[in-house]
Amino acid sequence: MKLPRRSFLKVGAGGMAILATAGCGQMPRELRQLLALVNPPGGPFQAPITEAIDPIIHALNRAGFGARPGDYQRVRKLAKTPEAAAAAYLEQQLHPENIQDEDADYAARRFETLQEPLGELFEYQPDLLHNELMRATVSRAVLSERQLFEVMVQFWSDHFNIDPSKGDCKWLKVVDDREVIRKHALGKFADLLRASALSPAMLWYLDGRVNRRANPADRPNENYARELLELHTLGVHGGYTQKDVMEVARCLTGWTVRSVGNKPYFQIGKVEFDPAQHDFGSKIILGQTVPSTSPALAKDILEQRGRHELDRVLQIVVAHPATARHLSAKLCRHFIADNPPAGAVAKVAEAFSKSEGDISQTLRALFQTDEFLLTRGNKFKRPFTFVASALRASGAITDCGMDIVDYLKRMGHAPFNYPTPEGYPDQATPWMGTLLWRWNFAVALSQNSIKGTRTDLASLRGAAGGDEPLMAHLLGRKPSPEEARAFVDSGDGLALMLASPGFQFC
Amino acid sequence: MPAIEHFIHGDGDRKQALVVIFLRGGADGLNMVAPLEDDGYYRARPRIAITKAKALALDGFYGLNPLLSHLQTPYNDGVLGIIHAAGSEDDSRSHFEAQDLMEHGGVVGGGWLGRFLRAQTAGTTGPLSAVALGKEVPECLRGAPAATVFASLDDFSLGANHARLMSSLARLYQAQPDDLGAAGHSTLDAVRRIESLRTASYRPSQGADYGNDEFSRGLLQIARLIKSRVGLEAASIDLNGWDSHFGQSTVMDPLMTRLGQGLGAFYRDMGREMDSTTVVVMTEFGRRVAENSAFGTDHGRGSVMFVMGGGIKGGRVFGQWPGLTRDVLEGPGDLPVVTNYRNILAAILQRHGSENIIDNVFPDFELHPLNLYA
Repeated sequence: MKLPRRSFLKVGAGGMAILATAGCGQMPRELRQLLALVNPPGGPFQAPITEAIDPIIHALNRAGFGARPGDYQRVRKLAKTPEAAAAAYLEQQLHPENIQDEDADYAARRFETLQEPLGELFEYQPDLLHNELMRATVSRAVLSERQLFEVMVQFWSDHFNIDPSKGDCKWLKVVDDREVIRKHALGKFADLLRASALSPAMLWYLDGRVNRRANPADRPNENYARELLELHTLGVHGGYTQKDVMEVARCLTGWTVRSVGNKPYFQIGKVEFDPAQHDFGSKIILGQTVPSTSPALAKDILEQRGRHELDRVLQIVVAHPATARHLSAKLCRHFIADNPPAGAVAKVAEAFSKSEGDISQTLRALFQTDEFLLTRGNKFKRPFTFVASALRASGAITDCGMDIVDYLKRMGHAPFNYPTPEGYPDQATPWMGTLLWRWNFAVALSQNSIKGTRTDLASLRGAAGGDEPLMAHLLGRKPSPEEARAFVDSGDGLALMLASPGFQFC
Repeated sequence: MPAIEHFIHGDGDRKQALVVIFLRGGADGLNMVAPLEDDGYYRARPRIAITKAKALALDGFYGLNPLLSHLQTPYNDGVLGIIHAAGSEDDSRSHFEAQDLMEHGGVVGGGWLGRFLRAQTAGTTGPLSAVALGKEVPECLRGAPAATVFASLDDFSLGANHARLMSSLARLYQAQPDDLGAAGHSTLDAVRRIESLRTASYRPSQGADYGNDEFSRGLLQIARLIKSRVGLEAASIDLNGWDSHFGQSTVMDPLMTRLGQGLGAFYRDMGREMDSTTVVVMTEFGRRVAENSAFGTDHGRGSVMFVMGGGIKGGRVFGQWPGLTRDVLEGPGDLPVVTNYRNILAAILQRHGSENIIDNVFPDFELHPLNLYA
């Protein structure tokens, strides 16, 4: 849908009043559709007034992609103290199924190819799928009310990174995103891991599909087995040996995917297990024995036993204490600090083990640590978070088009563009060289030179109630005198604030 | 704290730039560098071969197409090396598949140059470390830590309020105590350098004469960026349209003229800077040895690659000539690939990066880097 900017803004201002009072559910359908392209700036809103980042802004920053106009006020009303309000917000975010998300859903519907079943995906050009995946991801981060869910989608997309430019991943990553990452992002880690292990995209990306033993001379392909231990579960110092890698690879022989070259077409991407390609000898994994199976047994029993070895392997690695520590350290790095504090890592690892890998319960424990609650404003935003938070904070109307994605590419952080299995780095240093493009983006956003994206500084300032509260909204705290002066001197206060050191942290 | 330069130039400012030129469409190596002393060449191409009289002398066996005469100077200076019968293992003879494999460096995630830059800069990367001239970032740069489609220097400006915004940012970043303060400082420095580039007119050195075509203009921009030290580590530019099924000379002659003139001007313009720069010219496949009925050639296998740059043991044609006899030709009559392109790129990447990362750049391939360097 295309509308001139002016009418957009008119509807924006009027529509927002309705939004504030009535909520999305009671709006006429047409207005809702219109708003699906809108990141609501809302009517007058209240900005934080403290010198340092308060618990509410902290929760919005870490368990999401930053505050939109009005978010602070909305969360503040959840409880009597800011601390309790932040806790209540985090608790809400741990139950995404109870959060209405119509705007984001409407916006996501534009990306029709992403809803296609596996068999239909192969009809599309890989570039189209890749572009829609990237745009949909940005769109959800900017618009979704289920902010923590989107943060975890990004976390797991890095953790189980797949570069769609490899082989059939061009098509299959769409299914992986939908059926593996998004399906289990706040579920049970064991389910997520199993879905990933049997994801056709993962079988392609880490060569599981060619890990076979048809005759005794065949050596297994260790690629997936190694990354399963090193990246997905135990971690590089998790106490496994090269022998464990080889034994895991042997357990996983025989799994494969129908590739694009194979017929019939409707079975492309289908994951299969072939007992004839499986190594039925006995194995020892991390000290636990997987017994051998006689190849003389009936075929259906062989198939059942062979398939079961995958589950046995996953069971062993998920239950290993190193897995709890590894995942806990990564979560604490993401949510607390680049160098995760040991105390928090231990508590979160314990919660992971106690809950048998329940991701929500693990996160709840993390959000309750003192380290999380008190370490604020210290995480350097990765470029994706910078862009998403700038779009949110400025109340931009955006179609999350390729212009936005191109900025992310320039900063080296477009979703689904990381070549190797470890995923994008989650620390500050590798991203320090991206300032030029952040500034460039801030200026382009403020001056409305990004195609498909509009901001309106005047109405934003009006809704905030002046320059000071606007700055406080953008920074999540009161501006320093230097920041306030630069805001005026720069000639473009919005661009300056978004480009300033303060906005680079969350 | 890392040096300030660190953030502009990536790790330690190697001040080495790699320029990748991709000739899309399958460029005929035999028509650029002809095996003059192989009679099979003349038998297969009775109407379109380059005659010995017209060819420019290279090493006695091979001759250069006269339209590439500008390459003679760097060749004779020992800065340009040619690799014949080079290419990839992909025998689909499909433009898409062959380009895809070549740019990714196998069935693997990311492009070879993207993986190289990623592996190289384990720490940080400058904002202008990789640029692509043209409309989009090519697949070879996929996964690079920063890849910018470069249209004009105006892309790097901070808009109408440039000066005021810059000084406000300078004040705020100056007060920033950590690494970000240093990063801000060096970014401001980069913006100033780009700004002075943008406002100054550029006159190529030594009277280098770039053509007015898009390819030449692109090479001029690359030379300019390299010389102005904005931290460029890799640049990519395409020269398209080599698919000469019909009327070989009509298709290829203007392209060879552009390629020759552009590279010749770049070489002249760069002068001593060439010592720390490498240009590599590649194509997805060569063409059938025998000409077809339409004075053209069809999709084949091996072609030539050119490598120009500092340290090259140039002035020679690398790679063993396989001959053009029936038992040697591949499939429907194609020059076989003697030197896998990865072995050429690997040698270059060893010079531009560290020895031990090339196995990560080209996984699942047993590398034997070509002995390109003295």
